[in-house]
Amino acid sequence: MMKFLFMMIFMIPLCFMKNMFWLVQMMLFFMMFLFMNLNLNIMCFFNMSYMFYCDIISFGLILLSIWICSLMIMASESLFKLNFYFNFFLFNVIFLLIMLYLTFSVLNLLLFYFFFEASLIPTLLLIIGWGYQPERIQAGMYLLFYTLFGSLPLLMGIIYIFNDLNTMTIYFLKFFNMNMYLLYISMIFAFLVKMPMYFVHLWLPKAHVEAPVSGSMILAGIMLKLGGYGLLRVMIFLQEVNLKLNYIWIIISLVGGLFISMKCFCQVDMKSLIAYSSVAHMSMVIGGIMVMNYWGFIGSYILMISHGLCSSGMFCLANINYERLHSRSLYINSGMMNFMPSMSLWWFLLLSSNMAAPPSLNLLGEISLINSLVSWSNISMILLMMISFFSAGYSLYLYSYIQHGKYFQGLYSFYVGSSREYLLLFLHWFPLNMMILKVDFISIWF
Amino acid sequence: MLTNNNSNKMFFLFILFFSTLISISSNSWFGCWIGLEINLLSFIPLISNSKNLLSVETSLKYFLTQSLASINFLFMILIKFSLLKNFDMNNIISIMMNSSLLMKMGSAPFHFWFPNIVEGLSWMNNFMLMTWQKISPMILLSYYFNKNFLIFMIIMNLIIGSLGGLNQTSLRKLLAFSSINNLGWMIFSIMISENLWLFYFLIYSMMIFMMISLFFLMNMYFMNQLFINNMNFFIKLNLLINFLSLGGLPPFMGFMPKWIIINFLLINKFYFLTFIFMMTSLIIIYYYIRIIYSSFMFNYFKMKWVNLLMKNNMSLINLSSFISISSMILSTFIFM
Repeated sequence: MMKFLFMMIFMIPLCFMKNMFWLVQMMLFFMMFLFMNLNLNIMCFFNMSYMFYCDIISFGLILLSIWICSLMIMASESLFKLNFYFNFFLFNVIFLLIMLYLTFSVLNLLLFYFFFEASLIPTLLLIIGWGYQPERIQAGMYLLFYTLFGSLPLLMGIIYIFNDLNTMTIYFLKFFNMNMYLLYISMIFAFLVKMPMYFVHLWLPKAHVEAPVSGSMILAGIMLKLGGYGLLRVMIFLQEVNLKLNYIWIIISLVGGLFISMKCFCQVDMKSLIAYSSVAHMSMVIGGIMVMNYWGFIGSYILMISHGLCSSGMFCLANINYERLHSRSLYINSGMMNFMPSMSLWWFLLLSSNMAAPPSLNLLGEISLINSLVSWSNISMILLMMISFFSAGYSLYLYSYIQHGKYFQGLYSFYVGSSREYLLLFLHWFPLNMMILKVDFISIWF
Repeated sequence: MLTNNNSNKMFFLFILFFSTLISISSNSWFGCWIGLEINLLSFIPLISNSKNLLSVETSLKYFLTQSLASINFLFMILIKFSLLKNFDMNNIISIMMNSSLLMKMGSAPFHFWFPNIVEGLSWMNNFMLMTWQKISPMILLSYYFNKNFLIFMIIMNLIIGSLGGLNQTSLRKLLAFSSINNLGWMIFSIMISENLWLFYFLIYSMMIFMMISLFFLMNMYFMNQLFINNMNFFIKLNLLINFLSLGGLPPFMGFMPKWIIINFLLINKFYFLTFIFMMTSLIIIYYYIRIIYSSFMFNYFKMKWVNLLMKNNMSLINLSSFISISSMILSTFIFM
């Protein structure tokens, strides 16, 4: 475990040398393959050392974060071509990856908090430094302050737990039962804001839209999953209070997911539509975790991984259109099938995964979540039905609007799609639709 | 004082340092008062510059407020000696003595002179005012404090320090309000233990020193000046790191003292007070980030004819950035 940390730390000097842009990306792929070869033991924590460990959840999320970081660099070739501070950009990406890796792999809850907060700083720098519009300042403010407002009570809760239990090792928390309402709310509020839940979701459309493609990819890919991971870890000692209070969060997130899915139909900005669909997917994830049955945890974990790949791929597609037409608006991006038919294949593959069509991982996640939520209460059938239906609806809406129809007459020439872009989308799509063949690896925990 | 040259400054600085040592290491309250008076007397020549009207007016205001506080302190000491003669820490005399010391420091609700005076001083004088001048009142506060009164003062400090800085554009006043807010943290830490206060104070003064030296070298006094000059990339990064560190965000050095104080707050079961500490620090981070917008955005409208001559001092800036980022990790080597 430490060898990956040192590998990432020593990639930092590599970012500042000349002509090393693609080498850094290749080294991140290399690290991905090294990490996949860890001896995996699904049922318990493995590779434990002084402060690191690996669990099945951490393993999958670290893999996802390394994958998305390397694809972030692949997607940002325009920074390299236009020479826009790409050295500092590479440093930012590697620093963010180090913080995310450490968040998912430290044993101590306070260190988890420390790296959870520390991963905000490079994200903020990515949004405000390399974003495109003046609204990105407000987007950075919203991101920082929503997340900090949630996570400062989390710090209070963690230190209270330390003073009470005299331990902060995540492994030992399963022996305790903290039966306090205020502690419960302070611990989970941070993760609910990060997920995001419906009422505290305002930062997400702003941050996703104003971020550059790399910022959007990492936000949709991993940063939302930090909330899910935190919830999964913290639920261990808060089960009793959760059984009394979980209906609040489930209702808010499911009804909110319904409203957000309906709001997706009104969006004009492509990235905004994908951002709102992220909130809708995450609302189901929150529901699954809060119900606290086995299918719920499995479904939320699978949906987190698959949503990370899928949303990140869709943001890449939106950026591919943006780089050619310099607009994200649906009025301008129409009839793209006439010019980029191969790209419409990728739009279709990723959007069909978004609507949870078989054989994607999203399908398995949604089926597991539907199972768990309906087993909790029959009435949630209505909400889940509507959310799944509308997610299919807006995915088709987006696909059809962009690809079919008459194209915008004001287009100038652009080339169809470079191999880099096809590779980028392939690497997003391949785990999404192929991991369904060996899914017991991530969905059977005992 | 006909000229304001360096030898004069050295003389008065020497007496300033000694006065603080007299004040905190004396056996009786009279010695403390003497130290405070000599402190005042030796600080005034440091800040008054007879060629500058604003400077003269500032030093006069400083003299008036500090001597009022000193006289109040002396009177309360005499009342305590002659009339009351008790050792109880929860009575009216401790409130009065703490009030006079709080006025010396510039803490709320006696803070109204502080942003005013900070506006009239140069950056290095501000540094002395914000760091060194707080040592002796703080330590005197720890000798005889009233817990309930001080907790109320801490809350006022936090709220005034965070809300007062929202409408400011002068960098000096912003740092003054942030200093008032940090006074709240420091007063709490001195109620716990003097070691804790020393830890917080050292890290706070190091961060303030890095910030003030950066502004001093760039000769910047107002927020709009941040946008109109050609800052080097490393200077921008240093500004960013220092302000985020001062706000208490991980992974920078400024997180550590705040974390330890929150630990002690929760050990002593001050739950609501912890909440106020956190929410006011959010407001402070808001106006710090307003200052560092210029370093977030890599390309903004820059004037070509404003050049920063900072070629000789880059090593200090790089070292301070490095310390701010890596000190959390380096501290584990020291404390473990």
